Amino acid sequence: MTRVLIVDDHSIFRTGLRADLGDAVEVVGEAGDVDAAVRAVDSLRPEVVLLDVHLPGGSGGGGAEVVRRSAALLGEVRFLALSVSDSAEDVVGVIRSGARGYITKASSGAEVADAIRTVAAGDAVFSPRLAGFVLDAFGTAAGAPAVATRDDELDRLSAREQEVMRLIARGYAYKEVASHLFISIKTVETHVSSVLRKLQLSSRHELTAWALERRLL
Amino acid sequence: MTAAVVRPPLVRPRDVVLGGVSAALARHLGWSVAAIRVAFAAATAAGALFGIYELWVDGNPLLAAAGGALGLLYLWLWALVPREQSSPDAPATRLVPVAAVLLGAAAVLALLPLLTWSVATPLPVGAVESAVLAVVSILWTVVVDARDPRRAASAPIVRALAAGLLILLGLALLPSSFIAARPVVAVLAVVLVLLGVAGFLVPPLIARATARSAERAALARQEQRAEIAAHLHDSVLQTLAIIQNRAGTGSEIARIARAQERELRDWLFAGTDPFAGDLASELRTMSRELELEHAVRIEVVTVGDVGELESAALAGAAREALVNAARHAGGDVTVYAEATPDAVEVFVRDRGDGFDPEAIPAGRLGIRESIVGRMTRAGGTAVVVSSPDGTEVQLRLPRRATTASGVAQTEGPTP
Repeated sequence: MTRVLIVDDHSIFRTGLRADLGDAVEVVGEAGDVDAAVRAVDSLRPEVVLLDVHLPGGSGGGGAEVVRRSAALLGEVRFLALSVSDSAEDVVGVIRSGARGYITKASSGAEVADAIRTVAAGDAVFSPRLAGFVLDAFGTAAGAPAVATRDDELDRLSAREQEVMRLIARGYAYKEVASHLFISIKTVETHVSSVLRKLQLSSRHELTAWALERRLL
Repeated sequence: MTAAVVRPPLVRPRDVVLGGVSAALARHLGWSVAAIRVAFAAATAAGALFGIYELWVDGNPLLAAAGGALGLLYLWLWALVPREQSSPDAPATRLVPVAAVLLGAAAVLALLPLLTWSVATPLPVGAVESAVLAVVSILWTVVVDARDPRRAASAPIVRALAAGLLILLGLALLPSSFIAARPVVAVLAVVLVLLGVAGFLVPPLIARATARSAERAALARQEQRAEIAAHLHDSVLQTLAIIQNRAGTGSEIARIARAQERELRDWLFAGTDPFAGDLASELRTMSRELELEHAVRIEVVTVGDVGELESAALAGAAREALVNAARHAGGDVTVYAEATPDAVEVFVRDRGDGFDPEAIPAGRLGIRESIVGRMTRAGGTAVVVSSPDGTEVQLRLPRRATTASGVAQTEGPTP
C-alpha cells in the first residue's frame, strides 16, 4: 500500500482527508508547517507527500519550499500539490520546484486516492485547471518562439501533447483521452509526464512572468 | 403661506466655467444660467469701472472699495458654497484659463511702467500689482490647475511665462533703484527675481513629492489588500474547502459553501482579472449561479485571451449547455473555453447518463434551437456528443478576419 505523508496547516483538513482516504493508502504521518514537513519527509521517507501549496513556517516559501529543501529525495519521494487557490503563480511555482501533480482541495477522497496512486507509479497528475495553465503558458498567446534557444525543445508542446492537454482541460480522464485519440493509457501517461518535465525544466522566462501576471482566476 | 418649494441643494458642479457659482445658483433657484452669469459679469464690470474711476479720477478710495465689493459677492459665494460630492473623486475642471487670464492682466500692468517710466517716480505704477498677479497666477497653476486635466498641458507654460515676467520686472526695477538709491526698491527687485526663479524651480519639486506620496499611499493600500486576501485565503477559503470536502459534492451545504467560496474569491481578487466582462468571467458567473441552484460542481478553465465577449450567441449557447448539464447530469461538470487566433471554442462536459441527441422531441427547444440553432445563425457550429459516460457540448465560433488580425497584432510578444 502506498505510504503517504499529509502536509497541511489545518488539522481539521488533515483529519478529514485521512478519514476520506480510508484504507486506500497508508498515512504514515502529518505535518503542519514547512520545517516539520521537511523533517518528516527526511525521517519517514513516504512514497507520496500530499502537500498544501500554502504553508506557514520556513522562509515563507510554502509548499514549493518544502519540495526544494527535499530536492535530494525527489527520486524516492513524490510530491502531489493540493491547493484551494488555483492561482497560476502558486501552482506553477510548486510544480516547477519538483511536484509531480496538482489537484484541488475540493476533490473527493476517491479522486485524491487515484491521484496518489498515479503519482506513486511515477506518472504525473494534471487537473483540468493545470492543463489549462499549461496550454496558456505554452500556447500561441504567450508568443511564438521567435529566437531558437538551446532549450527550444523544452519551450514547445508537440502537437500530440497539446491535444492531450486540451482533452484533460475539457475534463477527460486519462482513459478517455486514450480512447479518444486511439492510443494506450501508457502513451497518455508518457505525454503527460513529458509535459510535466517541460513545465519544470523550460527556461523560458515568459513562464514565470506569465504566471505572475495571471495571479488568481 | 406659500407651498414649500423643494429646491436642489446649493452646490457647485465639478465641471465649471469659472467657479461654478452661477451654475450652482441657477440650479438652486431654477433660473437661467446665462442670466445669472450676465448679471454677475455686468455687476462686477460696472463695480470695477466705478472703482477705477473713483480711485484714479475722483481720488475717493472709499467709494472705489464699494465698487469693488460688487465683484466680491461672486468670490464670497465661490468660497462658501460647497463643491458637489462625486463618486470616485472626479477632478474639478474649469473652462476659463484663470492662470492665463491672471498672467495676461499682469503683463498688461507690467507695460504701464514703460509708458509712465521716469526715474523720479518712487515705484513705477503697476509694477507691484503686476508682480502680485503673476505670483497668484503661479500659485493658481500649482494649487488648482495641477488637478485639472484640462490644464495639464498648458499650466507649466503659463507658469514659466509668469515666472519669466517676475524676473524681467525685477531686473527692470534694479537700475532705477541704483540710480535713485532707493533700498526698498532694490529689495523689492531682488525679491521679484528670487520669486521668479522659485516659480521655475519649486513647482516641479512639489509635483514630484505629491506623486511620490500618492504612489506610497497606493502601495500601502495594495499591501493592505494583499494582506487581507492572504489572511482570508488561509482561513475562510480553506474552511470553505474543508466544508465542501466533508459534505460531499451533491449536498446542500457543499453547494452553499462553494458558492460562497466563489463569491469571496471574486471579491478578493476583483480587478486583478484583466478581462472582466468577457466570456471567461461570464462563464464563471453562470457557473456560480447554477451551483447555487443545482447539485453540481462546475470547473471553469479558460485558455488564451477569451477577450471581448465574442458574441452573445456563444455565451447564450454555453449557458444553455451548462443549464442542461446542471439540470440533467449534475455532479462534476467541466467548462473549457479556448481562444485561438482563428476561433473561440467552448466545451461543456458532464458525467451524466447521456442521452440520444436525435431522440429529443421536436418540441423541446433546449438543444436544437438554443444551442445548435443559435450557433449556426452566428456563423459557428455546435456539436453534441453523448454517451453513457457523459455528454459534451462543443461550440465553435470562428473569429472574423478583421478581429483575427487585430488580435494577432495585440497579442504578439514585444520584441
